[in-house]
Amino acid sequence: MNLKKYKHAITAVCVLGSLAVAGIAGKDFYDFRHYEEVIIPGEGVTSTFQLSDYNENLKGTFGDTTVYVMEGEKEGGSFLVLGGTHPNEPSGHMAAITMIESGKVEAGTVYVIPRTDNSAFTHNDAQEASPHFFHIETESGTREFVFGSRASNPIDQWPDPDVYTHQSGQTLSGSEMRNINRTYPGVKDGTLTEQISYAITNMITTLDIDMEMDLHEASPEYPTVNATVAHERAMDMASMGILELQMAGVDMSLEPSPVTLRGLTHRELGDHTNTLALLMETGNPSQGRLHGATSEELIIDGKDKFYEKAAELGYLYIPYDENGASLDMRIGRHLQGCVEYMKAFSDMYGAEKGEIIMTGIPSYEDLTSGGKTIGDYLN
Amino acid sequence: MKKKLAVMALCLSMAAGSLSACGGNTSETQAVAETQAASQGAEENSTTEGEVAALPEGIAEGPIMLTSVGQSADVNVVQTLLKKCEIESDLNATVTADQLDGYKTLVLAIGGSSKGLGAAGVDENQEIERVKAVIAKAEEQGMTIISLHIGGSARRGTLSDKFIPDALAAADAAIIVSEGDEDGMMKGIVTENGIPAAFVENQVGAVEPLQTLFVK
Repeated sequence: MNLKKYKHAITAVCVLGSLAVAGIAGKDFYDFRHYEEVIIPGEGVTSTFQLSDYNENLKGTFGDTTVYVMEGEKEGGSFLVLGGTHPNEPSGHMAAITMIESGKVEAGTVYVIPRTDNSAFTHNDAQEASPHFFHIETESGTREFVFGSRASNPIDQWPDPDVYTHQSGQTLSGSEMRNINRTYPGVKDGTLTEQISYAITNMITTLDIDMEMDLHEASPEYPTVNATVAHERAMDMASMGILELQMAGVDMSLEPSPVTLRGLTHRELGDHTNTLALLMETGNPSQGRLHGATSEELIIDGKDKFYEKAAELGYLYIPYDENGASLDMRIGRHLQGCVEYMKAFSDMYGAEKGEIIMTGIPSYEDLTSGGKTIGDYLN
Repeated sequence: MKKKLAVMALCLSMAAGSLSACGGNTSETQAVAETQAASQGAEENSTTEGEVAALPEGIAEGPIMLTSVGQSADVNVVQTLLKKCEIESDLNATVTADQLDGYKTLVLAIGGSSKGLGAAGVDENQEIERVKAVIAKAEEQGMTIISLHIGGSARRGTLSDKFIPDALAAADAAIIVSEGDEDGMMKGIVTENGIPAAFVENQVGAVEPLQTLFVK
């Protein structure tokens, strides 16, 4: 067969095929980038504002995000909860949404940002074959939530440098420049990610927020997991919280915020504001390197035979067996943690600053042995 | 010949133990520990099958220096536990041997943390050397040493295990969260050295043993 005879036709087919692939992929990227995740605030939310109120450079960008305010009838201390710092760590994102949808603040003021790095919710990590969404059954029907990326979308911030030099002088690999939890305290007119972290730092300073919690997940094979990391000023309060958590059935280790590791919330927000800076980690099997296919089931049930094997071999830092590490359980850890740290804050600083009390959210027990699922607490 | 030497060593260590029968200082504990270890070694040839001695009452008193062994934040949790017992302590996670003057009790919170070592600006070998020097000074001053390993399995493994033997073997009493000793390593150390110890279910469980150990 003489292919030369058909070369124009073959070229045309290849070009059309490429355009079709590009078109389908492009639509998929476009739709995901512009997807509007639905959050249905409960009666506990008293107002909202945009993060760009604390850095006008964010207005109209994919870095702007909604801050939900939950003000108690009784005055008290203030608490900022950051969910979705890394949108591929869904328990932090979902714990924040659960607070917004079912929480009620009795005393003090709680600020919740469920999509801290909003840009990172507009794509997911290349070459991971991650699903775009996961679904949760609720009374109002099936709800869809975004499984995003660890870092801001390169469309918003490109190209990455070879080396990212933090404002402290610390150098990291270039892609970390899009990881918001390496960019604090932020730069007002810096990269989009630095602008977001600047806005959060400025918001904490301006509103004089007493305590801050950044909700994360980590690979089960990473040592700092099922842990709280605390700035040195927050260490006494965190110690109290750890013991209270244990009484609530949640084993949690406490780690000091390294002084020399810069750009993270527990270091920079503690150093650059008056807030008591905390960060919590749960163990997320969909995030590590040892799991099989990254599926919606893995995100929600946390069951993976390879992690089971790794646990048998003693390679994991979380308890893990055939029951997996479900999203419900991981959300339960975060919510119980927030409650216990609010209690610890109230015990230590209540007389001076007033208490912080939130009710209505599920406990760890509710979401593990209590027969409830997170869908029972979503609107 | 070896058997004779072993018997002689046993007799000598028993005599040393009987010469210092009261109080709770470390050299006494070590003598008793050596005796028990020798007899256990001879009779059982096992490190983990021995009985753990019960905690004595009121062997520790203030002023108390609380320090870390491995720079984990468990040292802060231990201080909170002490506060729950209404026991005041001075926390210095990186205390050095020359800072122990005036203290009667040294509390060691054992548990390694790479984050903590980084925060303290030391590596594991420097930490081990610091702790050895602090223990030696405490023993020289006749201080009571209480060691706690409360971090469970999260404070076991390659890093943490390096900090455990010295800090536990030097103790006059120890409190250990059982979940961190599933392999029996710490039980082996306390039984070998005749160290009274309490194995508790979790960190909160350390409150009662602490109340037992400290003079009201």
